[in-house]
Amino acid sequence: MNIFTRLQTIDRRVLYLLIALVITVPLLVRPGRHPRVKFNEVRNAYKTISNVPKDKLVIISITWGPGTTAENGPQTEVMMRHLFQRGVKFAVVSWDQAGNELSYEIGKKLEKEMGKKYGVDWVHLGYRVYYPQVVFRGMAQNFQKVMEYDKFHTPLSKLPAVSGVKTSKDIGAVIEITPSGTLELWIAYFNGPYRIPLIYCPTAVMAAEAYPYIDSGQINGMLNGVIGAAQYEALIGMQNAKTDAAATSWALSAAHIFIILLIVVGNLGYLATKRAARGGNGGGR
Amino acid sequence: MVTWIAKNAPAITIWCAALSTFAIYSVLYAENRFYRFFEHIFIGLATGYGVYATWAQILGPKWWDPMVKQGQWYWAFAAVVGSMFYFMYSRKHAWISRVIFGLFMGLAAGGMFREFYELYFPQIGSSMKPIAGHGMSVWDSLNVVVFYVILLACMSYFFFSFDHKNAATKKTAAAGRWFLMIGFGAIFGATVMGRMTLFIGRFNFLINDWGPQVKIAWATLPFKIVIGLAVVWLIVALIRRTKPPKAKIAIEE
Repeated sequence: MNIFTRLQTIDRRVLYLLIALVITVPLLVRPGRHPRVKFNEVRNAYKTISNVPKDKLVIISITWGPGTTAENGPQTEVMMRHLFQRGVKFAVVSWDQAGNELSYEIGKKLEKEMGKKYGVDWVHLGYRVYYPQVVFRGMAQNFQKVMEYDKFHTPLSKLPAVSGVKTSKDIGAVIEITPSGTLELWIAYFNGPYRIPLIYCPTAVMAAEAYPYIDSGQINGMLNGVIGAAQYEALIGMQNAKTDAAATSWALSAAHIFIILLIVVGNLGYLATKRAARGGNGGGR
Repeated sequence: MVTWIAKNAPAITIWCAALSTFAIYSVLYAENRFYRFFEHIFIGLATGYGVYATWAQILGPKWWDPMVKQGQWYWAFAAVVGSMFYFMYSRKHAWISRVIFGLFMGLAAGGMFREFYELYFPQIGSSMKPIAGHGMSVWDSLNVVVFYVILLACMSYFFFSFDHKNAATKKTAAAGRWFLMIGFGAIFGATVMGRMTLFIGRFNFLINDWGPQVKIAWATLPFKIVIGLAVVWLIVALIRRTKPPKAKIAIEE
């Protein structure tokens, strides 16, 4: 068995181990440098949030759970951080039971770090049943009646951040953070009919399908997975901060280079074996 | 005991999460009971937490409390309507469930009209791009030409009303298939990136959250003994797994 045949029969467990080793280095080193390239959709997301008037509320919609924390977690954190920086009030609403707690934890962490106050600068509306046809339209027409109370059952009228929000006219933007195909429902029932800017933060798996909506202007900006979050962090002045998004983007680049190398080596092995077999059978045409 | 748990709750949480991560990733080596056990724990936890969250955040404050504590008795009808779904398990009374299913199907079908209009009409409009003028540079024009070539090629691939016998339609459809394959390739590449990110996320947790906890625990003797025993058990398990089974000699009469 020559080297090329061996290359094609490497145990998949060895490959898993090698990939684990490749990604371990950037995670241990944790470089702070963020990606220098910023996608247009990330820049547009930044511009959209930067242009939201301070008297309007931004809704952060959470559809993610523990399974996609690695991607959606940094996206949630960077969007909340930018809103806190700007002093724009926001309400988090979770359509996922576990995402309800995870997003609240992120909000609490940032609130402490940035000296903000719950109820005044932001609120968490808790977990809500995902029935967009009814809830989204209701929220746009009578926000107070449909959302009614926050995560801790405090009436919205007692929370200064949202007490003045009556209809869609008081909402400045929606940020949808999701690993699922929920984008279409926001466009159809909320952002489309009421002309409210929409920022889409999907996992990388979902991102490719969203580009037609960016092209048509139905989405105002997008954060493509954790790379989008790292680019956005650089835009809000965190280009040298040692964050999870930055470390993950380095680990991701290392893993991609390694996978490309494996594909090349595997194909070289395949071609060499094929050529050798042809030679053994009498050689060529 | 309770005080000790409360005091060490963050560390216990991290250790449980690390153990669960190792258990779930152990399937990468081979299917095993450790993995199966934790898989069942995960399903049980998710279901249990789901029931709690639905009651605490939705059914309690929105249905039970108004009905029982605020005298809004008419909310009882919601339970009657909701229970209609369960008649699907009865052959005799299945028609009752069809009433409520029909209602929801009608609602969804009505919603689809709106969804179609809001989703696709703006896209049809944005597909009609000007090729030149409007302050467009040469590169912008080239971009639009590429867009039109790909749009028309992909659309021609989906003309199933007639055979693609004509050379022009045949080649355009073939080009459309290539463009679609490139698109699917991009989606697959993004999928690899997404899955890798999730793996990196878990590794990040193990290195940067669990790692410091291991350093603290390593200072204690019981931990060293437990780790030593675990390593011995792992080595024995691996040796037993790789050892070839004894050949059975068939005795024929």
